[in-house]
Amino acid sequence: MIDRILSIFTTVGQESHGSVGVVLFIGFIFGVIVQYTRVAEFEKIAGFAMLRDTIVPKMLFLAIGIASIGLYFMVEMGYAQYHIKPVILGGLIVGGAIFGIGMAILGKCPGTGPVSIAEGRIDVLVGAVGGLFGGLFFTLYYDKFKMIMGTSLGKPTLTTIFVGHEGLAMLLFGIALIIISIIIPLRELDDK
Amino acid sequence: MIRKMPWWLGGIFMAGLLLFTFAAIGAGRPLGASTYVPYFAGVLFNLDPKEYPYLQEVHNAGAWEGVMLLGALVGGFLTSVFVTKTFKFSVMPPAWKKYKNNSVKSRLIWSFIGGFLLIVGARLAGGCTSGHFLSGMSQGAISSMIFGGVVLATLLITGKFFYNSEAADDR
Repeated sequence: MIDRILSIFTTVGQESHGSVGVVLFIGFIFGVIVQYTRVAEFEKIAGFAMLRDTIVPKMLFLAIGIASIGLYFMVEMGYAQYHIKPVILGGLIVGGAIFGIGMAILGKCPGTGPVSIAEGRIDVLVGAVGGLFGGLFFTLYYDKFKMIMGTSLGKPTLTTIFVGHEGLAMLLFGIALIIISIIIPLRELDDK
Repeated sequence: MIRKMPWWLGGIFMAGLLLFTFAAIGAGRPLGASTYVPYFAGVLFNLDPKEYPYLQEVHNAGAWEGVMLLGALVGGFLTSVFVTKTFKFSVMPPAWKKYKNNSVKSRLIWSFIGGFLLIVGARLAGGCTSGHFLSGMSQGAISSMIFGGVVLATLLITGKFFYNSEAADDR
């Protein structure tokens, strides 16, 4: 088992998605941002589910708005590539529904959970054990889950829908998200 | 040092990190954070990837995210100890006490169930908050917008009916 754990570094090293150091760095900065903005707190995500805290959607929409404009130009200039996930309606709808319920109850998502554990939260550690069993369950019954997921309907994006006006579509999308992030009323739930 | 970064600065930094991850000079791939779970489950329960096709599918992405999350654990830990000064072993979030109940047992059982649902849901949809919301929507992907809409709906419905969010206003 130790061999298999250590082999994750070899696997990453052999891939062409950044050296182990770069990937650790990306994770490190991710952890710092999530912890420093406190969005990994139960009060932030469960608080948003109760509409008592709006920090998470404000930050998320702002980040997506800026990144969507930046990424479009990076792709145009050849500095990056799109990696689009397919539309699998069953998977997206059933999976999204289950994900939203889990997120409201645990008060974390798979990215913020580990950051929360690093802050000493034992309840989230128990949630992570639940997640491991979820991952095991999915792996064991993958053929059954595949039937729920359905077939791929392709990988449409705003740039394939608005052919000829890709830049304008992404620019307006980005600006709209930035405006949404600003106009969502600021509410914060006390975490004491 | 200021103990909390405002949401707008966090959003700007997160956008920068996302762009770096996508950039060819960075990792040349999207940010993701749920594929590592079945990968780790395969390792912990010692499942043979030859027998489980899903483990082969997630092999590379799972390893990448596993290393990334190792970085996130270190970054989160150091920030909580030295910057936000919030590191503390705890089992009960204050808002659970206020809007749900006082029982540690209840919190732990629901945490387990919540974590289980979170990962099954993310794996069905092929992504989570990082893979779909952040990375997917930044590419204008329709799949991620469908996922985002459904998650938002069930998150708010669960928030309304699972917690006593109306009752506890006067403390």
